[in-house]
Amino acid sequence: MRKLELPERTIAILFLVPAIVGLLVFYYYPIAHTLVLSMFDLDHTTDLTAERFVGLANYVQVFQSKQFWGSIGFTLFFTVVTVGLELVVGMMLALSTYWVWHRLTGVLRAIIIIPWAIPGIIQASIWRWMFNTDVGIIGDLFVRLGLTEQPPLFLADPNLAKWSVIVAYLWKGASVSAIFLMGGLALVPRDLTDAAKVDGARGWRRFWTITVPMITPTILVTLLFRTMASLQVFDVIYGLTNGGPGTTTETLSSFSYKYYFKFVQYGRGSAYAVVTFLLVLIASIVYIRRVQPHFRFKGLGSE
Amino acid sequence: MTKLQRQRLHVALSVVVTLIVAFFALLPLYWILLTSFKAPGTEFRLPIRYWPAEISLEPYRTILGPDFQVQRAIRNSLVVSTVTTIGALLVASLAAYAIARLRFHYKWSSLLFVQVASMLPPIIVIAPTFLIIRGMGLLGGLPGLIIPNIVYSIPLSTWLIASYFAGLPFELEDAAKVDGSPPLRIYWQIMLPLAAPGLFAAGVIAFLGSWGEFMLAFTISMGLPEAQTIPVAVQGYTMAMQRQWTWVSAAIVLSLAPVILLVMFFQKRVVQGLTLGSAKY
Repeated sequence: MRKLELPERTIAILFLVPAIVGLLVFYYYPIAHTLVLSMFDLDHTTDLTAERFVGLANYVQVFQSKQFWGSIGFTLFFTVVTVGLELVVGMMLALSTYWVWHRLTGVLRAIIIIPWAIPGIIQASIWRWMFNTDVGIIGDLFVRLGLTEQPPLFLADPNLAKWSVIVAYLWKGASVSAIFLMGGLALVPRDLTDAAKVDGARGWRRFWTITVPMITPTILVTLLFRTMASLQVFDVIYGLTNGGPGTTTETLSSFSYKYYFKFVQYGRGSAYAVVTFLLVLIASIVYIRRVQPHFRFKGLGSE
Repeated sequence: MTKLQRQRLHVALSVVVTLIVAFFALLPLYWILLTSFKAPGTEFRLPIRYWPAEISLEPYRTILGPDFQVQRAIRNSLVVSTVTTIGALLVASLAAYAIARLRFHYKWSSLLFVQVASMLPPIIVIAPTFLIIRGMGLLGGLPGLIIPNIVYSIPLSTWLIASYFAGLPFELEDAAKVDGSPPLRIYWQIMLPLAAPGLFAAGVIAFLGSWGEFMLAFTISMGLPEAQTIPVAVQGYTMAMQRQWTWVSAAIVLSLAPVILLVMFFQKRVVQGLTLGSAKY
Protein backbone atom coordinates (compact mmCIF):
# COMPACT_ATOMS: atom_id res chain seq x y z
CA MET A 1 0.00 0.00 0.00
CA ARG A 2 1.33 3.41 -0.92
CA LYS A 3 1.51 5.86 1.90
CA LEU A 4 0.26 9.38 1.57
CA GLU A 5 3.37 11.52 1.94
CA LEU A 6 2.77 15.06 3.13
CA PRO A 7 5.55 17.60 3.44
CA GLU A 8 6.46 18.41 7.02
CA ARG A 9 5.26 22.01 6.79
CA THR A 10 1.78 20.90 5.72
CA ILE A 11 1.59 18.54 8.69
CA ALA A 12 2.70 21.34 10.99
CA ILE A 13 -0.05 23.61 9.70
CA LEU A 14 -2.66 20.85 10.08
CA PHE A 15 -1.57 20.25 13.67
CA LEU A 16 -1.84 23.95 14.40
CA VAL A 17 -5.25 24.48 12.83
CA PRO A 18 -7.46 23.55 15.84
CA ALA A 19 -5.55 25.85 18.19
CA ILE A 20 -5.44 28.72 15.73
CA VAL A 21 -9.13 28.50 14.87
CA GLY A 22 -10.03 28.42 18.57
CA LEU A 23 -7.87 31.40 19.38
CA LEU A 24 -9.22 33.33 16.41
CA VAL A 25 -12.85 32.74 17.40
CA PHE A 26 -12.54 33.34 21.15
CA TYR A 27 -9.61 35.77 21.43
CA TYR A 28 -8.69 37.71 18.30
CA TYR A 29 -12.10 38.16 16.74
CA PRO A 30 -13.68 39.27 20.08
CA ILE A 31 -10.98 41.92 20.51
CA ALA A 32 -11.71 43.36 17.09
CA HIS A 33 -15.44 43.20 17.85
CA THR A 34 -14.95 45.03 21.15
CA LEU A 35 -12.97 47.75 19.37
CA VAL A 36 -15.83 48.15 16.91
CA LEU A 37 -18.50 48.14 19.64
CA SER A 38 -16.63 50.88 21.47
CA MET A 39 -17.31 53.21 18.55
CA PHE A 40 -21.07 52.80 18.60
CA ASP A 41 -23.78 54.24 20.79
CA LEU A 42 -25.47 51.07 21.98
CA ASP A 43 -28.26 51.33 24.52
CA HIS A 44 -29.84 47.91 25.12
CA THR A 45 -28.87 46.73 21.67
CA THR A 46 -25.92 45.29 19.81
CA ASP A 47 -27.13 46.15 16.30
CA LEU A 48 -24.41 48.09 14.58
CA THR A 49 -26.44 50.40 12.36
CA ALA A 50 -24.87 53.38 10.61
CA GLU A 51 -26.75 56.00 12.60
CA ARG A 52 -25.44 54.56 15.87
CA PHE A 53 -21.83 55.06 14.81
CA VAL A 54 -20.32 57.74 17.02
CA GLY A 55 -16.58 57.39 16.40
CA LEU A 56 -14.64 58.22 19.52
CA ALA A 57 -17.55 59.85 21.35
CA ASN A 58 -17.72 57.00 23.90
CA TYR A 59 -14.10 57.56 24.79
CA VAL A 60 -14.60 61.32 25.06
CA GLN A 61 -17.54 60.77 27.40
CA VAL A 62 -15.62 58.22 29.41
CA PHE A 63 -12.58 60.48 29.75
CA GLN A 64 -14.82 63.31 30.90
CA SER A 65 -16.49 61.27 33.63
CA LYS A 66 -15.31 61.42 37.21
CA GLN A 67 -16.14 57.73 37.60
CA PHE A 68 -13.57 56.80 34.99
CA TRP A 69 -10.74 58.72 36.64
CA GLY A 70 -11.76 57.25 39.97
CA SER A 71 -11.68 53.71 38.63
CA ILE A 72 -8.43 54.10 36.68
CA GLY A 73 -6.89 55.74 39.74
CA PHE A 74 -7.95 52.87 41.97
CA THR A 75 -6.85 50.29 39.40
CA LEU A 76 -3.36 51.80 39.25
CA PHE A 77 -3.14 52.26 43.02
CA PHE A 78 -4.29 48.69 43.54
CA THR A 79 -1.74 47.42 40.99
CA VAL A 80 1.26 49.27 42.42
CA VAL A 81 0.47 48.28 46.01
CA THR A 82 -0.40 44.64 45.34
CA VAL A 83 2.46 43.94 42.94
CA GLY A 84 4.99 45.55 45.29
CA LEU A 85 3.75 43.76 48.40
CA GLU A 86 3.35 40.48 46.55
CA LEU A 87 6.97 40.58 45.47
CA VAL A 88 8.26 41.31 48.98
CA VAL A 89 6.03 38.78 50.77
CA GLY A 90 6.37 36.24 47.98
CA MET A 91 10.15 36.49 48.10
CA MET A 92 10.16 36.07 51.87
CA LEU A 93 7.95 32.99 51.54
CA ALA A 94 10.02 31.50 48.74
CA LEU A 95 13.29 32.07 50.61
CA SER A 96 11.83 30.63 53.80
CA THR A 97 11.26 27.28 52.06
CA TYR A 98 15.02 27.17 51.43
CA TRP A 99 15.95 28.46 54.82
CA VAL A 100 13.88 26.21 57.10
CA TRP A 101 14.93 22.91 58.60
CA HIS A 102 14.83 20.42 55.71
CA ARG A 103 12.11 18.26 57.29
CA LEU A 104 9.72 21.24 57.23
CA THR A 105 10.37 22.24 53.62
CA GLY A 106 7.62 20.04 52.18
CA VAL A 107 5.03 21.11 54.74
CA LEU A 108 5.85 24.79 54.31
CA ARG A 109 5.68 24.54 50.54
CA ALA A 110 2.30 22.81 50.70
CA ILE A 111 0.94 25.53 53.01
CA ILE A 112 2.19 28.27 50.70
CA ILE A 113 0.56 26.71 47.65
CA ILE A 114 -2.94 26.27 49.10
CA PRO A 115 -4.21 29.87 48.62
CA TRP A 116 -3.18 29.71 44.95
CA ALA A 117 -5.71 26.91 44.36
CA ILE A 118 -8.69 28.85 45.75
CA PRO A 119 -10.88 30.36 43.00
CA GLY A 120 -10.91 34.18 43.11
CA ILE A 121 -14.64 34.55 43.63
CA ILE A 122 -14.63 32.05 46.50
CA GLN A 123 -11.65 33.85 48.00
CA ALA A 124 -13.89 36.95 47.92
CA SER A 125 -16.74 35.15 49.70
CA ILE A 126 -14.40 33.88 52.41
CA TRP A 127 -12.99 37.34 53.07
CA ARG A 128 -16.43 38.90 53.04
CA TRP A 129 -17.25 36.73 56.01
CA MET A 130 -13.88 37.45 57.66
CA PHE A 131 -14.50 41.20 57.30
CA ASN A 132 -18.06 41.01 58.68
CA THR A 133 -18.59 44.01 60.94
CA ASP A 134 -20.51 42.28 63.73
CA VAL A 135 -18.88 38.87 63.99
CA GLY A 136 -15.96 38.97 61.56
CA ILE A 137 -12.75 37.39 62.77
CA ILE A 138 -10.55 40.27 61.57
CA GLY A 139 -12.54 42.90 63.44
CA ASP A 140 -12.55 40.72 66.52
CA LEU A 141 -8.76 40.33 66.34
CA PHE A 142 -8.40 44.11 65.95
CA VAL A 143 -10.41 44.67 69.12
CA ARG A 144 -8.63 41.93 71.03
CA LEU A 145 -5.23 43.30 70.08
CA GLY A 146 -6.40 46.74 71.24
CA LEU A 147 -5.96 48.32 67.82
CA THR A 148 -9.50 49.70 67.79
CA GLU A 149 -12.32 50.07 70.26
CA GLN A 150 -14.99 48.77 67.91
CA PRO A 151 -14.57 46.42 64.94
CA PRO A 152 -13.76 48.69 61.96
CA LEU A 153 -16.18 48.98 59.03
CA PHE A 154 -13.85 47.12 56.69
CA LEU A 155 -16.10 47.07 53.66
CA ALA A 156 -18.36 50.08 54.33
CA ASP A 157 -15.73 52.74 54.98
CA PRO A 158 -14.46 54.07 51.61
CA ASN A 159 -10.80 54.25 52.60
CA LEU A 160 -10.77 51.04 54.56
CA ALA A 161 -12.58 49.17 51.77
CA LYS A 162 -9.67 49.85 49.41
CA TRP A 163 -7.23 48.27 51.83
CA SER A 164 -9.57 45.39 52.63
CA VAL A 165 -9.73 44.50 48.95
CA ILE A 166 -5.95 44.68 48.76
CA VAL A 167 -5.46 42.44 51.80
CA ALA A 168 -7.92 39.85 50.52
CA TYR A 169 -6.23 39.88 47.11
CA LEU A 170 -2.75 39.64 48.61
CA TRP A 171 -3.64 36.48 50.49
CA LYS A 172 -3.70 34.61 47.21
CA GLY A 173 -1.37 36.89 45.24
CA ALA A 174 1.56 36.39 47.61
CA SER A 175 1.09 32.66 47.23
CA VAL A 176 1.20 32.91 43.43
CA SER A 177 4.29 35.13 43.46
CA ALA A 178 5.99 32.78 45.92
CA ILE A 179 5.37 29.83 43.57
CA PHE A 180 7.00 31.68 40.65
CA LEU A 181 9.95 32.73 42.78
CA MET A 182 10.44 29.25 44.24
CA GLY A 183 10.84 28.08 40.66
CA GLY A 184 13.52 30.70 40.05
CA LEU A 185 15.33 29.79 43.25
CA ALA A 186 15.28 26.13 42.25
CA LEU A 187 17.62 27.04 39.38
CA VAL A 188 20.17 28.59 41.73
CA PRO A 189 22.87 26.03 42.62
CA ARG A 190 22.22 24.46 45.99
CA ASP A 191 25.42 25.62 47.70
CA LEU A 192 24.54 29.22 46.87
CA THR A 193 21.07 28.98 48.40
CA ASP A 194 22.58 27.23 51.39
CA ALA A 195 24.60 30.37 51.82
CA ALA A 196 21.29 32.01 52.72
CA LYS A 197 21.56 30.03 55.93
CA VAL A 198 24.64 31.99 56.88
CA ASP A 199 23.24 34.34 59.45
CA GLY A 200 23.37 38.08 59.62
CA ALA A 201 24.97 40.53 57.26
CA ARG A 202 26.91 37.98 55.30
CA GLY A 203 23.82 36.03 54.32
CA TRP A 204 21.99 39.22 53.44
CA ARG A 205 24.82 40.48 51.26
CA ARG A 206 25.13 37.17 49.47
CA PHE A 207 21.41 37.28 48.80
CA TRP A 208 21.75 40.68 47.11
CA THR A 209 24.99 40.06 45.27
CA ILE A 210 24.53 36.42 44.21
CA THR A 211 20.95 35.20 44.45
CA VAL A 212 19.11 38.28 43.19
CA PRO A 213 21.17 38.69 39.99
CA MET A 214 20.72 34.98 39.26
CA ILE A 215 16.95 35.09 39.56
CA THR A 216 16.45 38.48 37.90
CA PRO A 217 14.69 36.88 34.89
CA THR A 218 12.25 35.11 37.24
CA ILE A 219 11.64 38.31 39.17
CA LEU A 220 10.87 40.19 35.96
CA VAL A 221 8.53 37.49 34.69
CA THR A 222 6.79 37.41 38.07
CA LEU A 223 6.36 41.18 37.97
CA LEU A 224 5.04 41.00 34.41
CA PHE A 225 2.40 38.37 35.10
CA ARG A 226 1.33 39.82 38.41
CA THR A 227 1.09 43.36 37.04
CA MET A 228 -1.15 42.10 34.25
CA ALA A 229 -3.28 40.17 36.74
CA SER A 230 -3.70 43.19 39.01
CA LEU A 231 -4.54 45.58 36.17
CA GLN A 232 -7.41 43.35 35.08
CA VAL A 233 -8.62 42.36 38.57
CA PHE A 234 -12.30 41.46 38.61
CA ASP A 235 -13.33 38.46 40.73
CA VAL A 236 -12.18 39.72 44.13
CA ILE A 237 -13.70 43.16 43.55
CA TYR A 238 -16.97 41.79 42.28
CA GLY A 239 -17.37 39.35 45.14
CA LEU A 240 -16.06 41.44 48.01
CA THR A 241 -17.34 44.99 47.49
CA ASN A 242 -18.90 44.97 44.01
CA GLY A 243 -17.12 48.30 43.54
CA GLY A 244 -18.56 49.85 46.67
CA PRO A 245 -19.06 51.71 48.85
CA GLY A 246 -20.27 54.02 46.11
CA THR A 247 -17.73 53.52 43.37
CA THR A 248 -14.60 53.72 45.52
CA THR A 249 -13.27 50.23 44.79
CA GLU A 250 -14.50 50.06 41.21
CA THR A 251 -11.76 48.94 38.79
CA LEU A 252 -11.74 49.31 35.01
CA SER A 253 -12.76 45.67 34.58
CA SER A 254 -15.57 45.79 37.13
CA PHE A 255 -16.94 49.01 35.64
CA SER A 256 -16.78 47.58 32.16
CA TYR A 257 -18.68 44.49 33.28
CA LYS A 258 -21.37 46.67 34.87
CA TYR A 259 -21.81 48.68 31.69
CA TYR A 260 -22.13 45.50 29.66
CA PHE A 261 -24.42 43.36 31.72
CA LYS A 262 -26.13 45.65 34.22
CA PHE A 263 -26.72 48.84 32.24
CA VAL A 264 -26.59 46.96 28.89
CA GLN A 265 -24.52 49.72 27.29
CA TYR A 266 -22.10 47.80 25.11
CA GLY A 267 -20.47 50.90 23.62
CA ARG A 268 -19.51 52.43 26.95
CA GLY A 269 -18.54 49.05 28.40
CA SER A 270 -16.27 48.36 25.43
CA ALA A 271 -14.55 51.72 25.85
CA TYR A 272 -13.68 50.77 29.44
CA ALA A 273 -12.51 47.32 28.30
CA VAL A 274 -10.29 48.83 25.60
CA VAL A 275 -8.65 51.13 28.17
CA THR A 276 -7.97 48.08 30.39
CA PHE A 277 -6.48 46.32 27.41
CA LEU A 278 -4.25 49.28 26.57
CA LEU A 279 -2.92 49.44 30.13
CA VAL A 280 -2.11 45.72 30.07
CA LEU A 281 -0.49 46.15 26.66
CA ILE A 282 1.70 49.04 27.80
CA ALA A 283 2.74 47.15 30.94
CA SER A 284 3.64 44.02 28.99
CA ILE A 285 5.67 45.95 26.39
CA VAL A 286 7.62 47.71 29.13
CA TYR A 287 8.38 44.46 30.93
CA ILE A 288 9.01 42.30 27.89
CA ARG A 289 11.66 44.71 26.65
CA ARG A 290 13.43 44.20 29.95
CA VAL A 291 12.88 40.43 30.08
CA GLN A 292 13.92 39.71 26.51
CA PRO A 293 17.70 39.79 26.96
CA HIS A 294 17.37 37.11 29.66
CA PHE A 295 14.97 35.02 27.68
CA ARG A 296 15.62 31.92 25.64
CA PHE A 297 13.38 29.07 24.65
CA LYS A 298 15.50 26.05 23.92
CA GLY A 299 14.83 24.08 20.78
CA LEU A 300 12.97 26.84 19.02
CA GLY A 301 15.83 28.71 17.45
CA SER A 302 15.23 32.33 16.70
CA GLU A 303 13.68 32.47 13.26
CA MET B 1 27.14 28.81 70.58
CA THR B 2 28.12 25.26 69.79
CA LYS B 3 27.17 23.66 66.52
CA LEU B 4 24.52 21.57 68.21
CA GLN B 5 22.98 24.61 69.85
CA ARG B 6 22.95 26.42 66.54
CA GLN B 7 21.19 23.49 64.91
CA ARG B 8 18.58 23.36 67.66
CA LEU B 9 17.99 27.08 67.33
CA HIS B 10 17.55 26.66 63.59
CA VAL B 11 14.99 23.89 64.07
CA ALA B 12 13.11 25.95 66.66
CA LEU B 13 13.06 29.05 64.48
CA SER B 14 11.97 26.93 61.50
CA VAL B 15 8.98 25.70 63.46
CA VAL B 16 8.11 29.27 64.41
CA VAL B 17 8.35 30.47 60.79
CA THR B 18 6.21 27.57 59.57
CA LEU B 19 3.57 28.29 62.20
CA ILE B 20 3.44 31.98 61.30
CA VAL B 21 3.04 31.22 57.59
CA ALA B 22 0.43 28.59 58.38
CA PHE B 23 -1.50 31.07 60.52
CA PHE B 24 -1.86 33.62 57.73
CA ALA B 25 -2.33 31.13 54.91
CA LEU B 26 -4.81 28.86 56.65
CA LEU B 27 -6.75 31.18 58.98
CA PRO B 28 -9.39 32.05 56.34
CA LEU B 29 -9.91 28.39 55.55
CA TYR B 30 -10.05 27.42 59.22
CA TRP B 31 -12.61 30.16 59.85
CA ILE B 32 -14.83 28.93 57.03
CA LEU B 33 -14.47 25.30 58.13
CA LEU B 34 -15.38 26.27 61.70
CA THR B 35 -18.40 28.28 60.56
CA SER B 36 -19.62 25.44 58.36
CA PHE B 37 -20.00 23.19 61.42
CA LYS B 38 -21.92 25.68 63.56
CA ALA B 39 -25.64 25.32 64.04
CA PRO B 40 -27.37 27.81 61.69
CA GLY B 41 -27.91 31.11 63.51
CA THR B 42 -25.19 30.57 66.09
CA GLU B 43 -22.54 32.05 63.80
CA PHE B 44 -23.77 35.51 64.82
CA ARG B 45 -23.41 34.90 68.55
CA LEU B 46 -20.98 37.00 70.56
CA PRO B 47 -18.33 36.57 71.79
CA ILE B 48 -16.88 34.84 68.76
CA ARG B 49 -15.90 31.21 69.34
CA TYR B 50 -12.52 30.28 67.92
CA TRP B 51 -12.86 26.58 68.66
CA PRO B 52 -15.66 24.19 67.82
CA ALA B 53 -17.96 23.76 70.82
CA GLU B 54 -20.53 21.47 69.28
CA ILE B 55 -20.51 20.13 65.77
CA SER B 56 -23.63 20.60 63.70
CA LEU B 57 -24.12 18.94 60.34
CA GLU B 58 -27.24 21.01 59.68
CA PRO B 59 -25.48 23.44 57.25
CA TYR B 60 -24.32 20.54 55.08
CA ARG B 61 -27.74 18.90 55.19
CA THR B 62 -29.36 22.15 54.07
CA ILE B 63 -26.91 22.98 51.30
CA LEU B 64 -27.05 19.43 49.92
CA GLY B 65 -30.82 19.31 50.34
CA PRO B 66 -33.52 19.93 47.73
CA ASP B 67 -33.52 23.73 48.17
CA PHE B 68 -29.93 24.32 47.13
CA GLN B 69 -28.47 21.12 45.69
CA VAL B 70 -24.91 22.32 45.75
CA GLN B 71 -23.93 18.90 44.45
CA ARG B 72 -25.44 19.84 41.09
CA ALA B 73 -23.07 22.80 40.77
CA ILE B 74 -20.15 20.61 41.80
CA ARG B 75 -21.14 18.02 39.21
CA ASN B 76 -21.39 20.76 36.58
CA SER B 77 -17.94 21.99 37.49
CA LEU B 78 -16.52 18.47 37.32
CA VAL B 79 -18.01 18.02 33.84
CA VAL B 80 -16.80 21.43 32.60
CA SER B 81 -13.30 21.02 34.01
CA THR B 82 -12.84 17.42 32.89
CA VAL B 83 -13.97 18.01 29.32
CA THR B 84 -12.02 21.27 29.17
CA THR B 85 -8.87 19.51 30.33
CA ILE B 86 -9.14 16.70 27.79
CA GLY B 87 -9.96 19.10 24.96
CA ALA B 88 -7.21 21.53 25.88
CA LEU B 89 -4.58 18.78 26.12
CA LEU B 90 -5.52 17.43 22.70
CA VAL B 91 -5.53 20.76 20.90
CA ALA B 92 -2.51 22.14 22.75
CA SER B 93 -0.34 19.04 22.37
CA LEU B 94 -0.92 19.00 18.60
CA ALA B 95 0.07 22.65 18.36
CA ALA B 96 3.00 22.14 20.72
CA TYR B 97 4.26 19.21 18.69
CA ALA B 98 4.23 21.30 15.53
CA ILE B 99 5.93 24.25 17.21
CA ALA B 100 8.60 22.29 19.05
CA ARG B 101 9.37 19.41 16.69
CA LEU B 102 8.42 20.10 13.08
CA ARG B 103 10.27 22.21 10.55
CA PHE B 104 8.20 24.93 8.88
CA HIS B 105 8.19 28.66 8.28
CA TYR B 106 6.14 30.85 10.61
CA LYS B 107 7.23 28.76 13.59
CA TRP B 108 8.06 31.88 15.58
CA SER B 109 4.89 33.69 14.49
CA SER B 110 2.74 30.70 15.47
CA LEU B 111 4.27 30.68 18.92
CA LEU B 112 3.69 34.40 19.22
CA PHE B 113 0.11 34.05 17.96
CA VAL B 114 -0.61 31.46 20.66
CA GLN B 115 1.20 33.23 23.49
CA VAL B 116 -0.07 36.77 22.91
CA ALA B 117 -3.59 35.46 23.54
CA SER B 118 -2.64 34.61 27.13
CA MET B 119 -1.94 38.27 27.78
CA LEU B 120 -5.40 39.49 26.83
CA PRO B 121 -7.62 40.51 29.76
CA PRO B 122 -10.89 38.54 29.91
CA ILE B 123 -12.91 41.75 30.01
CA ILE B 124 -11.94 42.66 26.44
CA VAL B 125 -13.36 39.41 25.04
CA ILE B 126 -16.33 38.83 27.35
CA ALA B 127 -19.06 40.77 25.52
CA PRO B 128 -18.38 39.42 22.00
CA THR B 129 -17.94 35.93 23.49
CA PHE B 130 -21.37 36.27 25.09
CA LEU B 131 -22.78 37.30 21.71
CA ILE B 132 -21.07 34.36 19.94
CA ILE B 133 -22.40 31.85 22.47
CA ARG B 134 -25.85 33.41 22.18
CA GLY B 135 -25.59 33.17 18.40
CA MET B 136 -24.74 29.49 18.71
CA GLY B 137 -27.79 29.02 20.95
CA LEU B 138 -25.61 27.74 23.77
CA LEU B 139 -26.52 30.21 26.53
CA GLY B 140 -27.57 28.62 29.81
CA GLY B 141 -25.79 25.32 29.20
CA LEU B 142 -22.45 23.68 29.83
CA PRO B 143 -21.21 23.32 26.20
CA GLY B 144 -21.27 27.11 25.86
CA LEU B 145 -18.87 27.23 28.77
CA ILE B 146 -16.63 24.33 27.80
CA ILE B 147 -15.69 25.52 24.32
CA PRO B 148 -14.31 28.94 25.36
CA ASN B 149 -12.65 27.38 28.41
CA ILE B 150 -10.73 24.98 26.16
CA VAL B 151 -9.49 27.96 24.17
CA TYR B 152 -8.55 29.87 27.35
CA SER B 153 -6.36 26.92 28.39
CA ILE B 154 -4.55 26.64 25.05
CA PRO B 155 -1.77 29.26 25.45
CA LEU B 156 -0.38 28.02 28.74
CA SER B 157 -0.88 24.31 27.94
CA THR B 158 0.85 24.73 24.58
CA TRP B 159 3.74 26.51 26.24
CA LEU B 160 4.17 23.84 28.92
CA ILE B 161 3.91 20.91 26.53
CA ALA B 162 6.13 22.55 23.90
CA SER B 163 8.84 23.17 26.50
CA TYR B 164 8.62 19.52 27.34
CA PHE B 165 8.73 18.33 23.72
CA ALA B 166 11.67 20.63 23.03
CA GLY B 167 13.74 18.85 25.67
CA LEU B 168 13.33 15.36 24.17
CA PRO B 169 16.10 13.87 21.97
CA PHE B 170 15.46 13.97 18.22
CA GLU B 171 16.82 10.44 17.57
CA LEU B 172 13.53 8.83 18.62
CA GLU B 173 11.56 10.59 15.95
CA ASP B 174 14.24 10.16 13.32
CA ALA B 175 14.22 6.40 13.84
CA ALA B 176 10.44 6.30 13.51
CA LYS B 177 10.57 8.45 10.38
CA VAL B 178 13.06 6.07 8.80
CA ASP B 179 10.59 3.28 9.57
CA GLY B 180 8.05 5.27 7.60
CA SER B 181 5.58 5.85 10.44
CA PRO B 182 3.05 8.57 9.62
CA PRO B 183 3.42 11.82 11.64
CA LEU B 184 0.15 11.38 13.49
CA ARG B 185 1.35 8.00 14.79
CA ILE B 186 4.75 9.42 15.79
CA TYR B 187 2.95 12.14 17.70
CA TRP B 188 0.42 9.84 19.33
CA GLN B 189 2.44 6.70 20.04
CA ILE B 190 5.95 8.01 20.63
CA MET B 191 5.96 11.68 21.57
CA LEU B 192 2.82 11.97 23.71
CA PRO B 193 3.79 9.19 26.15
CA LEU B 194 7.26 10.71 26.50
CA ALA B 195 5.78 14.09 27.30
CA ALA B 196 3.45 12.65 29.95
CA PRO B 197 4.85 14.74 32.83
CA GLY B 198 4.39 17.94 30.81
CA LEU B 199 0.88 16.90 29.81
CA PHE B 200 0.10 16.12 33.39
CA ALA B 201 1.19 19.50 34.71
CA ALA B 202 -0.68 21.26 31.90
CA GLY B 203 -3.75 19.14 32.64
CA VAL B 204 -3.86 19.93 36.34
CA ILE B 205 -3.45 23.64 35.63
CA ALA B 206 -6.14 23.61 32.94
CA PHE B 207 -8.45 21.77 35.33
CA LEU B 208 -7.92 24.26 38.14
CA GLY B 209 -8.17 27.22 35.77
CA SER B 210 -11.57 26.17 34.44
CA TRP B 211 -12.69 25.11 37.94
CA GLY B 212 -12.19 28.62 39.28
CA GLU B 213 -13.23 30.63 36.20
CA PHE B 214 -16.03 33.01 37.17
CA MET B 215 -16.68 35.85 34.75
CA LEU B 216 -17.63 33.75 31.75
CA ALA B 217 -19.37 31.04 33.79
CA PHE B 218 -21.49 33.68 35.50
CA THR B 219 -22.35 35.40 32.22
CA ILE B 220 -23.19 32.23 30.30
CA SER B 221 -25.22 30.62 33.11
CA MET B 222 -27.96 33.28 32.81
CA GLY B 223 -28.91 32.59 36.41
CA LEU B 224 -30.12 29.07 35.63
CA PRO B 225 -29.22 26.67 38.47
CA GLU B 226 -28.75 23.78 36.03
CA ALA B 227 -26.01 25.73 34.21
CA GLN B 228 -24.14 27.03 37.23
CA THR B 229 -20.63 25.95 38.07
CA ILE B 230 -19.52 25.94 41.69
CA PRO B 231 -17.96 29.44 41.76
CA VAL B 232 -21.18 30.89 40.33
CA ALA B 233 -23.32 28.98 42.81
CA VAL B 234 -21.21 30.03 45.80
CA GLN B 235 -21.28 33.65 44.65
CA GLY B 236 -25.06 33.37 44.33
CA TYR B 237 -25.44 31.99 47.86
CA THR B 238 -23.17 34.71 49.24
CA MET B 239 -25.33 37.41 47.69
CA ALA B 240 -28.66 35.84 48.56
CA MET B 241 -27.93 34.72 52.12
CA GLN B 242 -26.17 37.48 54.01
CA ARG B 243 -27.63 36.13 57.26
CA GLN B 244 -26.91 32.43 56.61
CA TRP B 245 -23.18 32.13 56.70
CA THR B 246 -23.16 28.54 57.97
CA TRP B 247 -24.85 27.45 54.73
CA VAL B 248 -22.52 29.53 52.57
CA SER B 249 -19.52 28.19 54.47
CA ALA B 250 -20.63 24.59 53.99
CA ALA B 251 -20.94 25.23 50.27
CA ILE B 252 -17.46 26.80 50.19
CA VAL B 253 -15.93 23.85 52.05
CA LEU B 254 -17.51 21.38 49.62
CA SER B 255 -16.34 23.45 46.66
CA LEU B 256 -12.76 23.65 47.89
CA ALA B 257 -12.27 20.06 49.00
CA PRO B 258 -11.64 18.67 45.48
CA VAL B 259 -9.15 21.36 44.45
CA ILE B 260 -7.21 21.32 47.69
CA LEU B 261 -6.91 17.54 47.52
CA LEU B 262 -5.79 17.78 43.89
CA VAL B 263 -3.14 20.37 44.69
CA MET B 264 -1.84 18.57 47.78
CA PHE B 265 -1.62 15.34 45.86
CA PHE B 266 0.20 16.71 42.83
CA GLN B 267 2.00 19.59 44.52
CA LYS B 268 5.43 18.95 43.04
CA ARG B 269 4.30 18.61 39.46
CA VAL B 270 2.01 21.61 39.63
CA VAL B 271 4.83 23.78 40.92
CA GLN B 272 7.20 22.47 38.27
CA GLY B 273 4.62 23.19 35.62
CA LEU B 274 3.78 26.62 36.91
CA THR B 275 7.36 27.75 37.21
CA LEU B 276 8.22 26.31 33.83
CA GLY B 277 5.49 28.38 32.26
CA SER B 278 5.58 31.20 34.79
CA ALA B 279 1.86 31.02 34.49
CA LYS B 280 -0.87 33.42 35.24
CA TYR B 281 -3.10 33.01 38.29
